[in-house]
Amino acid sequence: MKKDIRNVRNIGISAHIDSGKTTLTERILFYTKRIHAMHDVKGKDGVGAFMDSMELERERGITIASAATFCEWNGHEINIIDTPGHVDFTIEVERSLRVLDGAILVLCSVGGVQSQSITVDQQMRRYQVPCIAFINKCDRSGANPFRVIEQLKDKLGHNAVALQIPIGLEADFSGVVDLLRMQAVYFDGDKGESLRMEEIPEALRELAQVKREQMLDAASMFSDELMEAILDEKDIAAELVIAALRKGTLARQLTPVLMGSAYKNKGVQLLLNAVNDLLPCPDDIENNALDMDKDEAPVRLTSDPAAPLVALAFKLEDRTYGQLTYLRVYQGSLSKGDTLINVRTARKIKVGRVVRMHSDQMEEIESIPAGYIGALFGIDCASGDTFVAPGLSLTMTSMYVPKPVISLMISPKDHKSEIHMSKALNRFTKEDPTFKTHVNPETGETIISGMGELHLEVYLERMQREYAAEVTAGAPRVAYRETITQQAEFDYTHKKQTGGAGQYARIGGWLEPLPDQDFEFDNQVVGGSIPTQFIPACEKGFRKCLAKGPKMEFPVTGVKVVINDGASHSVDSSDMAFQAAARGAFQQGYSKAKPVVQEPIMKVVVETPIAFQGPVMGSLNQRRGMIVGAQDEGALCVIESQVPLAEMFGYSTVLRSLTQGQAQFTMEFLAYKQVPPSIAEELEKKAAEQKKKVA
Amino acid sequence: MLTLTDKFAAGAKRAPAALIVMKGRYIAMLKNDLILRSPVQYLGGQSADVLADGQFGGVLARAGVGKTALMVQIALNSMIHERNVIHVSLNQPVNKTNLWYQEVFGHLSRQSGVPQTEALWESLLPHRFIMTFRAEGFSIPKMEERLTDLVEQKIFVPRLLIVDGLSFDEPLRDSLSDLKHFARLYGIRVWFTIRTHRHEDPGPSGVPKQLSDVEDLFEVAIQLVPVGEEILVKVLKGLTLPTEHAQLVLDPTTMLVKDRSA
Repeated sequence: MKKDIRNVRNIGISAHIDSGKTTLTERILFYTKRIHAMHDVKGKDGVGAFMDSMELERERGITIASAATFCEWNGHEINIIDTPGHVDFTIEVERSLRVLDGAILVLCSVGGVQSQSITVDQQMRRYQVPCIAFINKCDRSGANPFRVIEQLKDKLGHNAVALQIPIGLEADFSGVVDLLRMQAVYFDGDKGESLRMEEIPEALRELAQVKREQMLDAASMFSDELMEAILDEKDIAAELVIAALRKGTLARQLTPVLMGSAYKNKGVQLLLNAVNDLLPCPDDIENNALDMDKDEAPVRLTSDPAAPLVALAFKLEDRTYGQLTYLRVYQGSLSKGDTLINVRTARKIKVGRVVRMHSDQMEEIESIPAGYIGALFGIDCASGDTFVAPGLSLTMTSMYVPKPVISLMISPKDHKSEIHMSKALNRFTKEDPTFKTHVNPETGETIISGMGELHLEVYLERMQREYAAEVTAGAPRVAYRETITQQAEFDYTHKKQTGGAGQYARIGGWLEPLPDQDFEFDNQVVGGSIPTQFIPACEKGFRKCLAKGPKMEFPVTGVKVVINDGASHSVDSSDMAFQAAARGAFQQGYSKAKPVVQEPIMKVVVETPIAFQGPVMGSLNQRRGMIVGAQDEGALCVIESQVPLAEMFGYSTVLRSLTQGQAQFTMEFLAYKQVPPSIAEELEKKAAEQKKKVA
Repeated sequence: MLTLTDKFAAGAKRAPAALIVMKGRYIAMLKNDLILRSPVQYLGGQSADVLADGQFGGVLARAGVGKTALMVQIALNSMIHERNVIHVSLNQPVNKTNLWYQEVFGHLSRQSGVPQTEALWESLLPHRFIMTFRAEGFSIPKMEERLTDLVEQKIFVPRLLIVDGLSFDEPLRDSLSDLKHFARLYGIRVWFTIRTHRHEDPGPSGVPKQLSDVEDLFEVAIQLVPVGEEILVKVLKGLTLPTEHAQLVLDPTTMLVKDRSA
């Protein structure tokens, strides 16, 4: 493994569905000689793309789990994480962004900035990941890279600057003009492997000059030297411009834009040059850990391989030889035979095999130095765990994990399947923090929950394929919840005298709505009307009530409990009595606080040909959707709406039949909102029936 | 002896009095508050119907003076009256147009002292539909086609149509005449933003050139004129302001219409 950290790039490739991320990665691996044949994502040869190693991924033509690989280009080592584009798998994108130093944002030259590109961009912003953009599919009919650049500016607020212009478009797309060196670049050979530099075609000279000036203008904001050279009208060296562009990119104040067609093998080599020239090395990025011993004070990590180790496990995979844990080393180096501490569990771990992953193949290595990504075998941990050298107590900041919004009841077909199912669930919950599972204590049903229909569907299929677990799934259920809408007082006395020691506790106070938080407990008791030792029992009693709301047994959120009065008995008061009083008080106050049921509302964005705009809007309206707006994008129309998740089941089939399969939609969680009274009534009826069944 | 302040302070320590909020009625009350304090009433009285069904109105100004802000106030006023609005925006994405609404609504509710704006905002949103087009491919017949779809399939039936960003430098008479027919047919009031240019002199009737060719189609025309630090709201056609509000301006910090003398 090469040790010069300045020549290392840890990058991700993120984009909207079907923008061609996996195809692009395939081409990158081919040109960097990591693979010797190229296959298409849904190609006729049936091999599938190299990075889509999971059987299911190859069948569906989508990337589900991100795969890590590395390659070398012009003396630089590039570690690539190919990430899924579907919003249901966002956690994979979030995880990879957490460990990456830079990213390539792939955009379709026809579709432009689509809904998922916006989500991915927000995630990049959250983790401060510098990026370059690659406008793919310039060979497609309707391709317009300049429109996409405008969208990057308008929709995402990027300071997007073209470093290239296309030579021809759609079927005539034959190469690009490199504005840095002012030359035309063509990609010859069967697989576009040989680059041919020529003079810029006459027809494009003027445009190239205009675009170069725009690029120089933007770059000069980051380099005084370049600014002076421009003002003095000197010859400007490409290296000077690259240095300025790099500075702007690292500060996330400039987004260089390249273009091409990965499928037609055009523009990929220049993109790799840009990765080397413009994206950061691990040393350029400031990484902080939290010191657990100093009240989580941030500690800056150094990429010095001699410093004590700090590494983050960002992805787990179940292999035939055991668990494979993907790690990014932030400080120090991780070698075979080292002893590490898992900060979460405080357990010591001895490092066995250290490998470097290349999709589903691996290469054994001696150590992983700071700044690199590698994998370990046979380590039991969860995704997001921090590993440190003994003596350190640092943890990497935890990743943002969205709460699941949809659940599904599953039951195994036989005893054998039950064992397999439990193994599979155990694995999946460790791999994916957005996938949760629990057993309903009343019905004994196993419930799985996740981020969307597809998310759960994929896990069900994986359960069957990878673990041979035959399960039947019930209808998906929405994660409803309850909350209160107004303040209400309570004053409850719990009294019991049925032989033996009695129970006595009184609690007075009020409940009030608490927007944007789940629960808050405020103790305003003065004068010892409730003795201090019983206050935690009161809080515990109230907290217990949150799991199942008194209205319809959905979890309760957004409640502040204030207690300010109470009474106790020197003999009969106990923790138990105050917990019971808290439960009684909660029920008393809750019914007066106008409880309501809330449901998850999703932001649904449909991209459809104009001809189907009416039927699509109608279908959203029918689903209690509120249409926020419609954006005309030439041949396509993008409809943005807010629809309750409960109404979205099976929408993909409906949309397909409405639009002859020409529309696509994305859906992501937006907010919880109150359900309309008619729906609440229906839910109440269902809840009553369910109760009867259980009884 | 306890003073009144002490009594209040003592009361605050105890449980507050239970507040009974009837959500629907409360929102209606908040809407009323906004209606009473709406700055658009300066233009058209409390009902804020500056235009009648099928009529056209135009807001003329140079770029960046506040046309969209005034339009959004007119639209919000209609939404508060539970009348559906379609906002057609050229070259601005849905999110950006939505931001205009959020911003103006925020100023409006702060100025009116209306609390709990989130619930109110949620109740207004179903009355608004934003449509955006790219200016290069836009034409009035194309917009009319989309509107007809919406209205005839009863997906969204507007009472007010706002067309923001249409260039009046091109000849528009024929397509505007068609739109007028459409507006009359469906009883829709239509407002346009009309961008004027600094270097151009007004036409013979004092009306900017952009409007002069189609002036007869417009029942109301308002011009925003920057004078020093202020933006004057000047009526060109169709409105008689009550004398006490004869000097309307756009507040430069909030872009809300206000009476200069107030």
